[in-house]
Amino acid sequence: MKKTVLVLGLIAIVASFGFAGGAQEAGGAGAGDVTEFVIGNGAEPESLDPHLVSGVPEHRIMMGLYEGLVVPDPETATAVPGVAESWEISDDGTMYTFTLREDAQWSDGTPITAQQFVDSWLRILNPETAAPYAWFPSMFIKGAADYNAGEAGPESVAVRALDDRTFQFETVGPLPYTLDALSHYSFQVVPLHAIEEYGSEWTLPENFVGNGPYTLAEWSPQQRIVLEPNPTYWNADKVQLDRVVFLPVEEDTTMYNMYINGEIDWATNVPLGQLEQAQLRDDYHVSPYLGTYYYVFNNGREPLNDPNVRKALSMAIDRQLLVDTVTRAGQIPAYSMVPEMTGYPGIEGLGDDLDTARQLLADAGYPDGEGFPELTVLYNTNEAHKSIAEFIQQQWLDNLNINVTLENQEWGTYLNNRRQHNFDIARAGWIGDYQDPNTFLDMFITGGAMNGGQFANDEYDSLIAQAAQMQAGPERFDVLRQAEQIFIEDEMAVMPIYYYVNLNMIDLQKWSGWYANIMGWHPVGDIVGAN
Amino acid sequence: MSNQPVVPSGHDSDDAGQGVVNEFDQPVEGVSLTKDAWRRLKKNKMAMFGLVVVVIYALLSITAPILPIHSFRYQVPEHRDLPPSFTKTAGELWYERVEHRMYQLAERDGRTTLTPEQQDELADIRHRIETETAMIDGQEVKIHQWRYILGTDHLGRDMLARIIYGGQISIAIGLIGTITSVLIGIILGAIAGYVGGKTDYMIMRFVDVMYGLPYMLVVIILMAIFGRNIFNLFLALSLVSWLVVARVVRGQIISLKNSEFVEAARSMGASQRRIIFRHLIPNTAGIIIVFATLRIPAFIMQESFLSFLGLGISAPFASWGSLVSDAVERMTGAPWQLFFPAMAMTLFLFAMNFLGDGLRDAFDPHSKNRL
Amino acid sequence: MTQYIVRRFLGLFPTLFIIITISFFIIRVAPGGPFAREKELPPQVLENIEKKYNMDEPLLVQYGMYMYDIIRGDLGPSFRYMDRDVNYYIFNSLPASMLLGLVSLSIALVLGITSGVVSALRQNRLADYLSMSVAVIGISVPLFVIGPVLMYFLSIRLQLLPTSGWIGGRNGLKPLIMPAITLAFPYFAYIARLTRASVIEVLRSDYIRTARAKGLRESVIIFKHVLKGALLPVVSYLGPAFAGIVTGSVVVEQIFRVPGLGRFFVQSAFNRDYTLIMGTVIVFSAILIVMNFLVDIVYALLDPRISYK
Repeated sequence: MKKTVLVLGLIAIVASFGFAGGAQEAGGAGAGDVTEFVIGNGAEPESLDPHLVSGVPEHRIMMGLYEGLVVPDPETATAVPGVAESWEISDDGTMYTFTLREDAQWSDGTPITAQQFVDSWLRILNPETAAPYAWFPSMFIKGAADYNAGEAGPESVAVRALDDRTFQFETVGPLPYTLDALSHYSFQVVPLHAIEEYGSEWTLPENFVGNGPYTLAEWSPQQRIVLEPNPTYWNADKVQLDRVVFLPVEEDTTMYNMYINGEIDWATNVPLGQLEQAQLRDDYHVSPYLGTYYYVFNNGREPLNDPNVRKALSMAIDRQLLVDTVTRAGQIPAYSMVPEMTGYPGIEGLGDDLDTARQLLADAGYPDGEGFPELTVLYNTNEAHKSIAEFIQQQWLDNLNINVTLENQEWGTYLNNRRQHNFDIARAGWIGDYQDPNTFLDMFITGGAMNGGQFANDEYDSLIAQAAQMQAGPERFDVLRQAEQIFIEDEMAVMPIYYYVNLNMIDLQKWSGWYANIMGWHPVGDIVGAN
Repeated sequence: MSNQPVVPSGHDSDDAGQGVVNEFDQPVEGVSLTKDAWRRLKKNKMAMFGLVVVVIYALLSITAPILPIHSFRYQVPEHRDLPPSFTKTAGELWYERVEHRMYQLAERDGRTTLTPEQQDELADIRHRIETETAMIDGQEVKIHQWRYILGTDHLGRDMLARIIYGGQISIAIGLIGTITSVLIGIILGAIAGYVGGKTDYMIMRFVDVMYGLPYMLVVIILMAIFGRNIFNLFLALSLVSWLVVARVVRGQIISLKNSEFVEAARSMGASQRRIIFRHLIPNTAGIIIVFATLRIPAFIMQESFLSFLGLGISAPFASWGSLVSDAVERMTGAPWQLFFPAMAMTLFLFAMNFLGDGLRDAFDPHSKNRL
Repeated sequence: MTQYIVRRFLGLFPTLFIIITISFFIIRVAPGGPFAREKELPPQVLENIEKKYNMDEPLLVQYGMYMYDIIRGDLGPSFRYMDRDVNYYIFNSLPASMLLGLVSLSIALVLGITSGVVSALRQNRLADYLSMSVAVIGISVPLFVIGPVLMYFLSIRLQLLPTSGWIGGRNGLKPLIMPAITLAFPYFAYIARLTRASVIEVLRSDYIRTARAKGLRESVIIFKHVLKGALLPVVSYLGPAFAGIVTGSVVVEQIFRVPGLGRFFVQSAFNRDYTLIMGTVIVFSAILIVMNFLVDIVYALLDPRISYK
């Protein structure tokens, strides 16, 4: 019968696969003399165009493929010369003049000129490009925000090429963190000649043109991205890996297994379930990360519009117990919005204080939690967020005798509700874009896009605005500190929970040039075999 | 052992429908089918085993609130990740865990002894185990004297309680989902099968369309639009699961439509509605019961898949599916957190499947190849 | 008969059309949009992106434009993966899903039929209970448990197989093994039960009795007569099984990093990547309805009770 034949055919297919599988080489890396560095890199990148991306996995690839005016130092993540060999900053801190390297060129041999920087920056700011990260350069460059918002033409953006090798721009104020921020991919120069020729397909391997230490050799979606050394890179001598492979790995447990099995050389995250095991290994690296995990109170809703309630909720949580038993990776309990940062004195916060918390709740009209409405805690679907929410739920019940409901939503719905102030208490996290307290504070100005909790305080707004016009130094930090005091100690508009840590697995006996730093930036161009 | 034809029971189902009061007449007539089926079922060892297991599960779920178990949501952070033990108290296990960890870390750092701080910490734990109490329901409880026979989860909650309460939810999802989807399926399938013509065509095209939609998408979107609560979860699952019932019922009805007893009812002037609901549907009862038993495990599995995607039941409640999916990544460090809920779930589904198979054989011994 | 088949086949197109239409609108109704990021986009930028994807038009116009593009075979640009269009992603990931599905189904068939037949011949004996128990476990343990457990034992403990990835690299065909086994498990279980039931039924039938009475050798009876009759339900199950395997491999593809369509499916639904999710829905739906159609035809051919008016 025909069907039987079909079945037999299928059996034959399986059998042949089985044999073919057995006949293959018997495992092992067997890469020969080629030095290959394989990275477990989270989600599939959305694009390889630096002006169109916004994620951390993309950033790791960008650091291999491109180079901006400055690049992050692998140890400190502060700016060191990249395409620019030197620069000058005017005395008032608002005018930046860069001298480009003579030998800076694209991977197709085209030289990199100052005009290309001008055009590239105008490209990301151009509202037509619709770049998701255009807000970042807009924060710095004079006239950029207006152009990006479509309120002014490109001529209003204060960027110019003084000659082929001299590039200049003006900032909106003496923002002392500008230089370090310039290594971000949103300030990247892009090969406009290639973009013109190939359109949106210019990032495919056959068309690709870059200027970083590596260039693109292969991009198979959901499989791998392979980088090979860029022969035209000005500092090609320092590039020692023969191949850098980025594997998209969404499942952290799979990533850990791959690392343990020797399939990847760098695991960019460690799953909670494997932490205790990983912590016993010497290739496990934990380091502070410039980020804060917090809960947003909806300041516009009863009873959360009462600062006493917000303070009571915040002070009734044993954060040390939380980080010890729930998150477990060495996170630091947070009582302020801004993590520890060089030079910034920081605030003390209100701490955990059960008696005061109960007293504050009673002052607000809810002695021993009586009559307190059942609020909902919103978080985006994730195992870790869930555990934290369950822990906090129990703490509030035990310590304040109040009940909260937990609700998880998938990312899109969650973002939507948070943005539209459609929640009581929402989980949030913020990773700093640059090493300055401002990145944690300016998003909470009245009506700010990230200010889903509807915090509104005139004094706070004016302090943030004032700091934006001040030169670097203790006075500026003091103004920011006052703002943070209002935000946390007076108002407790959000409830900081802990500061993030960065978790990585990489064998530093085998690889060098990889350093833990607070930004979590590890330029792949600096990574070399240890021998 | 001849198989009683299904047709005669069609007549008595008419009487059965006359009123619930009429209890004495019904068993007399209905006996032939059910008693026969029951006799066959009793012979089937696996099915009986299944039945016993299902009954035990049902009892456990129903009596969960009065069982002498801990709360399924009460966390004792110190008791996190305690392995199952009949003999040791939570305090002892906690101490062992901390001490073991200290030695592990010491070994990593190249030490063989503990530091004075660690010694102090251990002493402190010993002290706390002896003295610490917690207020639960107004009573002082020495929590470190508790025993967790199935261990604890990553937040220090009793696995046994979570599995029992998780079972409650999983079984409820299975039952309610099945009932809803079977009801929708019966009504639409019966209408399509009996009325036929354009109505049949429209309903079956609709079923085709729903069949063609990847059901995960529908569920994800429904959950996203209507928000996540257990009711919507049932709804979303049932909405995409009534299709098979509708098809099966339609097929049965078409083949019964022209049988003699329906002709008889029709010639006696019974209304269409009456014929469908009093004559045709009861005659498909056997196959529907069978289908339902096999459907419950499918629902439980689907809920577990949704849990894996994070779209299942909301914390701190748990289902078997969510317990299992939470525990998968802790498989190596705390295998009991995966093993016990997975066992509980598998055993139930196991029992349910065998019971379903047994029922099918018992009710409808001829169509063995229709799973 | 031919007329019935042609009519049913032509009926597939309106069905697919309705599915596309329904999906198009329910996806748009879901809260959030493809451009929702942690940091909100400035209104002007958002407006421009929306213009780029024609999202500034009324929904009905967008629907019309989308349908026009589909008819020309263009599934449009992805909203998330911006460097390539949806056609590229679909045609590059479908083969992986298909191959995985085919191999899994083959494994399921071979093992399922074997253990089903053994079970039936040893009905209510140890072998039967054992293989049926394994089969029921296959239906009762979620794939997201089987997958990681297999990975832990086969890759980490025994070091036999690479944890994940796909064929064609230096691991050859090895990365195919674990996902295929995992995915095959529930289908193996189902086929085993199906085979057992139908073999038992055939064994009781008159023509087998006749064959036995004629004194034919038992092996001849089993292979020549029983299997032939008993495999029909299994064959008719192949259609839905294949559709289910190809469209249901989401979990397995994610765990074992198979570059298949399933991996895009859930991700794009969560990302609200309208065009990519529509592309996957169209492909999945087409597979599903074609397979359902084939099953109906097979049933029609096999079951003399169904008449074609």
